[in-house]
Amino acid sequence: MIRLRSVVKSYERRVLSSLDLHVERGTLYGLVGPGAAGKSVVLKVIAGLVRPESGTVEVGETDVGRLDELGLAEHRKHVGMVFQNNALFDFMTVGENVAFPLRRLESLPEPEIQRRVTDRLARVGLPGFEARSPSGLSGGQKKRVAVARATVISAPVVLYDEPAAGLDPVSSQRLFDLLREEQRKAGNTVVMVSSDVDRLLTVTDRVGVMHEGRVVFEGSTDLARESDHPVVRQFLRGELEGPL
Amino acid sequence: MSGLLPSLGRAVLDIVGVVGAIGVLFGRILSRLVRLDLDGRQTLASLYRMGVKSLPIVIVTALFTGGIMVVQAAPTVERYGVQSLLGWGAGFGTLREVGPLLTALMISGRVGANNTAELGTMVVTEQFDGLRALAIDPLSFLIVPRFIGIVTTLFLSTVFADVLALFGAAFAGWPLLGVEPGVFFDGVTGGLLGVPDVVHGLVKSVAFGIGMALASSHFGIATSGGAPGVGRAVNATVVTTASFIFVLDYLVSFAIR
Repeated sequence: MIRLRSVVKSYERRVLSSLDLHVERGTLYGLVGPGAAGKSVVLKVIAGLVRPESGTVEVGETDVGRLDELGLAEHRKHVGMVFQNNALFDFMTVGENVAFPLRRLESLPEPEIQRRVTDRLARVGLPGFEARSPSGLSGGQKKRVAVARATVISAPVVLYDEPAAGLDPVSSQRLFDLLREEQRKAGNTVVMVSSDVDRLLTVTDRVGVMHEGRVVFEGSTDLARESDHPVVRQFLRGELEGPL
Repeated sequence: MSGLLPSLGRAVLDIVGVVGAIGVLFGRILSRLVRLDLDGRQTLASLYRMGVKSLPIVIVTALFTGGIMVVQAAPTVERYGVQSLLGWGAGFGTLREVGPLLTALMISGRVGANNTAELGTMVVTEQFDGLRALAIDPLSFLIVPRFIGIVTTLFLSTVFADVLALFGAAFAGWPLLGVEPGVFFDGVTGGLLGVPDVVHGLVKSVAFGIGMALASSHFGIATSGGAPGVGRAVNATVVTTASFIFVLDYLVSFAIR
C-alpha cells in the first residue's frame, strides 16, 4: 500500500500542492495528467529520491518521510524504478546493467546471477543481448532493458516513469502488455506515469489524474473514462476546450 | 560604473559559491576515503582509463618539453660556455616547475574535461538517480574512484614526465650544444639538485590532481539543462582547473621554497 497525505514540494515553483494519493497493494495504478503536473516528482517521492517539504509518505509499513539517509537507502532496495530517460549505465553492458541490482543488493552466486539475467532478458524479448552496449540499442530496446533491471529483483513496489515515451504505437502497446503481465505474475504494487493515456488505460486497475500538483480524480479506469470532472474529461478525451 | 559593482559582486559571490561547494565535496570524498567506502572495480577502471590511456600524450609532451628547454637555453649556455650546467638548469626547471605544470595542463584537457562530460551526461540522463534508486551512493561508486584515478594519474604521470623530459633534454643538448648525455646527467646528479627539488614538483602534482578532480567532479555533478548544460559544465571545468593549477602552483612554490 502506498499512501501520500498533504505532500508539498517546491523547486522554483510549487510542484506538489497538498497532494493526496492512495494506491492499494497489488494494483496497477496509472498516474496521468498534463505536462509539469508533478507526476515524475510523485514517483521520486515514493522512491525516497526526493524529500517533500511537508506531508507524509507511507510505503507499506514504512513512513518514508521519517527515514534518515541509511533508512532511505534500505527503503530503495524494496522499490524498482524505470526512469523517463531509462537511466541505463552506459559504462556497463546490457547484461551488467540487469545484473547490477542482483550483485549489489543480493548475495547470489555468479551462475545464479547469470541465469536470472538471461531469463529476464528473454522475458522482455531481448534474448542474447547480454554483451551489447546500451548506446547501440533502439529506444524501445533501452526501455525493455530498463524494465528488466527494475524487475530482476522482486521488489514489492515498482514505479514506471513514461515507460512508452518515444515508442511507436505497436511497441508501446506491447510494452504495456508486458508490464501488465509482469505485475500480474509478481503481484506487486505498480505506479505508472505515462502520456500515452489511451494505451495506459488498457492495462491499469485504477487511475489518478493530476493537475497543478494535486490528484483531482482518483478511481477505477472505467470511472475515469466516464468522469464529468472538467480536467479529467478534457485530458482523457483530448478536447481543446476546457480548463487545461 | 553603476552596473560594474553589482556585476563584480555577483562574480565574487559565484566564485565563493563554487569554492564552497567544492570544499563540501572534498569533505564528503574524504569521509568516504577514510572509511574505504568506494567501489574497487570502478577505481581500477578509472586508473586504467585515466592513467594508462594518458601515456601517449604524456610521452609526447614530456620529450618535447625537455627538448624545448635546451633549445631556449642554448644561446646563453654557449655564450658563457657553461655546458656542464645544462643538466642542472634543465633538471631544476623540469622537476620543480615545467614537468608538473605541463603534465597537469595536458591531463586536465584529456581527463578533467572528460570526467565532467561523463558525469554531466550521467546526471542529465538520470543515471545518478538510477544509482540512488538502487540504494547505491553515487559518491562512493563514481566520484571517489575518479578522485583516486585523477590524483594517482597526475602523480605517476609527473614522475614519468620528469624522467622523459630529462631524456628529451639530454638528447636535444647533444646535437645542439655538443653536451654528451653522460655530461648532462652528471649535471643532474652532481649535487646541485636534490631530493627536495623532486619532492617540490611531486607535491605540486598532488595538489593539481586534487584541484582537478574536485573541480571536474563538482561541475559534472552540478550539470543541468541537457546537452547544452554538459557543454557549459565542461567549459567551466577547463577554466576553473587551469585557474586552480596556476594558483596552487604559486602557493606551493611559496610554501616549499
